[in-house]
Amino acid sequence: MPEIRVTPLGAAEAGSTSHPPSCSGAGQDVGRSCILVSIGGKNVMLDCGMHMGFSDDRRFPDFSYITRNGRLTDFLDCVIISHFHLDHCGALPYFSEMVGYDGPIYMTQPTQAICPILLEDYRKIAVDKKGEANFFTSQMIKDCMKKVVAVHLHQTVQVDDELEIKAYYAGHVLGAAMFQIKVGSESVVYTGDYNMTPDRHLGAAWIDKCRPNLLITESTYATTIRDSKRCRERDFLKKVHETVERGGKVLIPVFALGRAQELCILLETFWERMDLKAPIYFSTGLTEKANHYYKLFIPWTNQKIRKTFVQRNMFEFKHIKAFDRAFADSPGPMVVFATPGMLHAGQSLQIFRKWAGSERNMVIMPGYCVQGTVGHKILSGQRKLEMEGRQVLEVKMQVEYMSFSAHADAKGIMQLVGQAEPENVLLVHGEAKKMEFLKQKIEQEFRVSCYMPANGETVTLSTSPSIPVGISLGLLKREMAQGLLPDAKKPRLLHGTLIMKDSNFRLVSSEQALKELGLSEHQLRFTCRVHLHDTRKEQETALRVYSHLKSVLKDHCVQHLPDGSVTVESILIQAAAHSEDPSTKVLLVSWTYQDEELGSYLTSLLKKGLPQAS
Amino acid sequence: MESAEDWLVESLRLYQDFHAFNLSGATQVLEWMGDKGILVAGYESLKKNEILHLILPLRLSVKENQGLFPERDFKVRHGGFSDRSVFALKHVPDTRLLVTSGLPGCYLQVWQVAEDTDVIKAVSTIDVHETEGSLWSKVAIFSSAAPGVLHGVRLSSLKVVDLESQKTTYTSGVGDSELLSSLQVLDADTFAFCCTSGRLGLVDTRQKGLQGAQEGACSPVISLAPAVKVAHRKAPGFDGMVQVYDVTSWDGMQGRVDPLFTHRGHIFLDDNGADTAPLVTTHTWHPDKPRTLLSAASDASLHVWDWVDLRASC
Repeated sequence: MPEIRVTPLGAAEAGSTSHPPSCSGAGQDVGRSCILVSIGGKNVMLDCGMHMGFSDDRRFPDFSYITRNGRLTDFLDCVIISHFHLDHCGALPYFSEMVGYDGPIYMTQPTQAICPILLEDYRKIAVDKKGEANFFTSQMIKDCMKKVVAVHLHQTVQVDDELEIKAYYAGHVLGAAMFQIKVGSESVVYTGDYNMTPDRHLGAAWIDKCRPNLLITESTYATTIRDSKRCRERDFLKKVHETVERGGKVLIPVFALGRAQELCILLETFWERMDLKAPIYFSTGLTEKANHYYKLFIPWTNQKIRKTFVQRNMFEFKHIKAFDRAFADSPGPMVVFATPGMLHAGQSLQIFRKWAGSERNMVIMPGYCVQGTVGHKILSGQRKLEMEGRQVLEVKMQVEYMSFSAHADAKGIMQLVGQAEPENVLLVHGEAKKMEFLKQKIEQEFRVSCYMPANGETVTLSTSPSIPVGISLGLLKREMAQGLLPDAKKPRLLHGTLIMKDSNFRLVSSEQALKELGLSEHQLRFTCRVHLHDTRKEQETALRVYSHLKSVLKDHCVQHLPDGSVTVESILIQAAAHSEDPSTKVLLVSWTYQDEELGSYLTSLLKKGLPQAS
Repeated sequence: MESAEDWLVESLRLYQDFHAFNLSGATQVLEWMGDKGILVAGYESLKKNEILHLILPLRLSVKENQGLFPERDFKVRHGGFSDRSVFALKHVPDTRLLVTSGLPGCYLQVWQVAEDTDVIKAVSTIDVHETEGSLWSKVAIFSSAAPGVLHGVRLSSLKVVDLESQKTTYTSGVGDSELLSSLQVLDADTFAFCCTSGRLGLVDTRQKGLQGAQEGACSPVISLAPAVKVAHRKAPGFDGMVQVYDVTSWDGMQGRVDPLFTHRGHIFLDDNGADTAPLVTTHTWHPDKPRTLLSAASDASLHVWDWVDLRASC
C-alpha cells in the first residue's frame, strides 16, 4: 500500500521558556518547527527552525534522523520554509552550510527578503553578545539564500517531474504561506503558522477545498480560546493613553515590518478619534526599510493597506512624524517607535537608556525577545541592568509585554479543516495528553483521523490513490454485449490488457493490444487422453459419450459432429481405439487455454466413466 | 462597525481590564472550579454540546507584575461532549466531579474531570422522577466528606441524594407543586429555594417542611459579590446588559435605584450583525478580585471585565 510518512524533528515544548515562570509566561512563543514528510517516494522538509530557548545544540532539530539515510541532498527533494520567524527558519543556514544540504529551498518572496535580515540580527546577538562558537557566519547566510527559489501565491511549482508544490496565503506575518505538496494524486498540506481572522495590515488565511490526504496544522494555540483582537488593541491603547496623560513617554521597540505597521495604524486611528495632542514618532531607519518592503509586497497585505498605499506613503500619517534623536531629550509626553525590536543595540536601546529612570515612562515590548538582549532581561523582571563599562542602569519605567502575534486557536483550526476537507489531520506542536479533547472534536466533526506525533515519532498513513485508467470503447461494447448491466454492488470481472505508456494507463482488448504492439498471438491447446474400457467400435463409444454429456451438461452446447467427434462448446472429444488393446478406447479431449476450466472439468467427468448402455 | 469603535474608546474610561472571547457554543452556566478555572457548557438541542473547563488567562490570575504576562487567552484545560442541552452545572468541591442538569430526559449527569488527560467523561446518572418532558431539575451541592446533590423540579420533588451511594438523604415531604427556579446551599444543613412565582424559602434538612416562605422575594438572577456588598442583577427589558448595584446604600425605602455600572459590551461587540441583540445568559463574580465579573451571552460571547468605580474618581 502506498504510504505517507510524517516525522516532526523538532516541536515546541509548551511552557518551556528561559524566563523564570514566576515572572512571565512567554512559553508558547518559543519552539522550533521542522517536519519531514515522505510522499510518493519523495522526501520534503517543512521548515527548519531554531529553538531560541536553548543555547546549545538542543536548539537545532535532530537532523541525524535524515542523515542516517545517506547523503542529505540525495535523500531530500526540497526544503520549504513557511515564513520568516526564527522558530521556522533559524536553523536553515546551519542545515545548508554546516550540515550540508545543497538542494532547492522554497519560500515566498517576502520571506526570502526578510529571512536573511532576521538571521543576521540573530547571528549578531548570539556571537557578539553571547560569544557563542559553532554558529553560522554572515557568509553562510548569504550562501544559504543563494539556494532559495521564490514562489508566488497559488502558483504550481514543479520541483521535479513528479513533485509539485503550491503556496496559499496564511496571514500571520508578511509573506507567511501554507504549502500544498503533491505527488500524483496524493497530497499533503502544511499550514506553518496561520491566522483565521484578519488584522489591520494582513488578511486571513485561505485555502480551497483541495481535499489533501493529510493536513498538518500548527496546534500551539489549539487548546486556547483567544481574546479578541479589539481587546488586545484596547489594552495597548489604554496603556499608551494613560502614560501620555500623566506626561510620560512610551517607547515601543519594533522590527521594521508587521507589528509596527499594525500599531501605527491603530494609534493613528485613535489619536484622531480622541483628538490627542501628544506627538508620535517613528525612527527614520524604520520608515525607509518598511516603505521599501511594503512597496515590494503590496499583494501580501490586506485591501485597506493597498488602498492607503496607493494613495500615499505608508508612513505618511497625520499624527506620526519622523523621529530625530534630539527629541528623546524633549520634555513632555510622546510615543516613539524605534528599532531594533529586542533592545539589543541601536536607537531603541539609546532611547531606553534615557527614559528608563522615570516611573512615569513606559516601554511596550510587542514580541518575543531572544536571550541575551536587554529586552529579554527586562521581560524576565530584571530591574537593574549591567550595561557597557560596568554601568548599572536602574529600570524604573513601567515594562509591558504584549502579544500581538496572530495564531489560529481551536476555532480557527476547525475553520481551516472545514475549508480544506482533508482525509486526515495531524497536529504538531502540542502535547498529546493535553489535546485528546481537540482530537475527538476534530474526528467527530469532520469524520477524519487525527494524529499527534511526538518529536521523532513517525506517523504512517496508508493512502489509496486512485489511478485513472482509460478503457477502450471496443472493450466496453463487448462487455455490454454480454447483456448484463453494470451493477455497483456486484464487481464484474473484465479481461483486457493494461498498456502503460507516457504516464497514461489504458485498458484494451487483447487483440487490440497485440495489434498495437505488433505482436502475433499464440494459441495454446491442451490435450488429454482418457482411457475407457469399451469393446464396441469407436463410433459407438463416441455416441455414448455424446449421450452422456448431453444429459449431464444441460447448460452447455453439446454436439455430435458428422465425423464422429463430440464438441462441448469449443472443446473437442474424439474417440479412438487403443493401438495395442482393442477393448480399450482412448478419448482425446482437447481445448484451448481459454477453455481451461471447462476442459479440466470435462476430463475429470469422463474419467469417472460412462453409464452402461441399456 | 463604527459604534463598536466608539464603545471601545468609551471603554478605556469605563473598564480597567476587558477581555472578550468567542466560545464555540453559547453557555448558560459559569461555574468556578478552584479560583483559576471556570466551567461552561452548551445548551443547543439536536447537536453535541461541549462542556469546557477553562483556565483564566495568566494576566488575570497573577497578583503582581501583570505587565510581564502577555497571555490574554483562556486555556481549554479539559473538554467533554454532552448529547443533551446543559442548563445547570455544579462542581462538587474538593473532587473532580461535576453534576449537570438539562434536557431531554430529566436525569442528572455526573462527570469526571480527568487528571492525566484533558477529557471530561460521563460516569454516572442520578434519577429524577419527573414525568414532564420539558422541565429540567435545578441543582445545588452540599459539599462535605460525603457530598450530596440537592435537586428538584418542583417543591414537592425536592430531594438530596448522596453522590456516592445514590441513597436519598432528604425529601421535602410537601405536596406543593410550585415550580422551582433556583436552589442555593447555605451551609451543611440549610438551603434556600426560589420559585418561579417569586416565592423565597429556607429549608433546614434536619426538619420537615419548608420554613420562612416569602412572597415575591426573590429574582433568579441576582448574585452577590463575595467580598463587597454589591448586588448584581440582570433586569428584564435590559437583557443584553449586566448591571451592578450597591446594596449597602439601600435602606429598603428606595423607589427607583440607579445602577453603579452597566456593562453593555455584549450589545456593542456583537459581530454577528443579527437583527436582535444578544441576551446575557449568565454571570459570575471573580472570587478574589472585587470588581471583576464574567458574563456570557446567547451569541456565545464570554466577557471578563473589571469595571471602574466612577464614584471613587469624583
